[in-house]
Amino acid sequence: MSVKINIHASFSRLTNGQTVVEVNGNTVGQCLDELVKRFPQLKKKLFEKNGTLSRIIDIYLNGESTYPEELEAPVKDGDELHIVVIISGG
Amino acid sequence: MLTKDERERYDRQMLIRGFGEEGQSKLKKAKVFIAGAGGLGSGIATYLAAAGVGVIRVADHDKVEPSNLNRQVLHWEEDMGRKKVDSAADKLKRLNPRVKVEAIGERLTEASISQLVAGFDLIVDAMDNLPARYLLNKVAIERNIPLFHGAVHGFEGRAMTIIPGKTACLRCLYRGAIVEGRFPVIGVTPGVIGCIQATEVIKYIVGIGELLTNRLLVYDGLNMKFTEFKVKKDPDCEHCGKAKGKNKG
Repeated sequence: MSVKINIHASFSRLTNGQTVVEVNGNTVGQCLDELVKRFPQLKKKLFEKNGTLSRIIDIYLNGESTYPEELEAPVKDGDELHIVVIISGG
Repeated sequence: MLTKDERERYDRQMLIRGFGEEGQSKLKKAKVFIAGAGGLGSGIATYLAAAGVGVIRVADHDKVEPSNLNRQVLHWEEDMGRKKVDSAADKLKRLNPRVKVEAIGERLTEASISQLVAGFDLIVDAMDNLPARYLLNKVAIERNIPLFHGAVHGFEGRAMTIIPGKTACLRCLYRGAIVEGRFPVIGVTPGVIGCIQATEVIKYIVGIGELLTNRLLVYDGLNMKFTEFKVKKDPDCEHCGKAKGKNKG
């Protein structure tokens, strides 16, 4: 399943400037795992130490929140993911 | 009932379809609580005062510092060291003396927040940290007061409107917390997001348009893109769902 991942701009320094990456996987978790294989420095940003999705990251699948399934959410060919980071300034 | 002077002053907005004198009268009767008199709060308060909201209560415990002036446009060079709420109240009263502005120069705490928002129709989130936002979210749900969320970082901003009992709340949207002290930001970003929040407030009060509910609006100023994400009400939410009250965060 080919899935397009839109990476938050603040992480682009860890992805050689790329903000859109095509990966393969059947779930959100598998897609993120492939992303991390290609850009290992992203691992710390995307995941907690226990392997769950970071609590300051939200993943949107075709524009809809994946919570609470998150990493388990199934994806299909042509789907689009957005990695969104919480911001809190005012 | 509007006075002759008010009819003149608000003439252009009363021309908007669905607004009219009735809409203006609703604004005049409205009481809005703005949490924060910084970057977001400056734009929100300015446009709500200009629009003729009846009572604006602004709460912030900070004093004006030089590094605020790139974005907090209610505070000027001459205000250095003053309480932000006093500086803000002065400008807002000069902009529109018909609006009652109340300045609350204290920190919002779990103990004080409920009393501070009592009697107000809407709460606007102009805070600079997530724990304070969760506090606002909880009190908004407890008191059944709509909450208008906004946040900024660099050239990026977010906004969402929360109607307690009906739509996803801030805790349905976010579960984590980040510690962010000196965050990067250019003044135009809170300007854009503050204006979006003020737009939502005016629409809600007047009763026109479609609100930004169950939708997170993400503004990317660097690429000049607005993206919208659908957010669902979480049945297990700690603030508005089954898990209500289980976690103090």
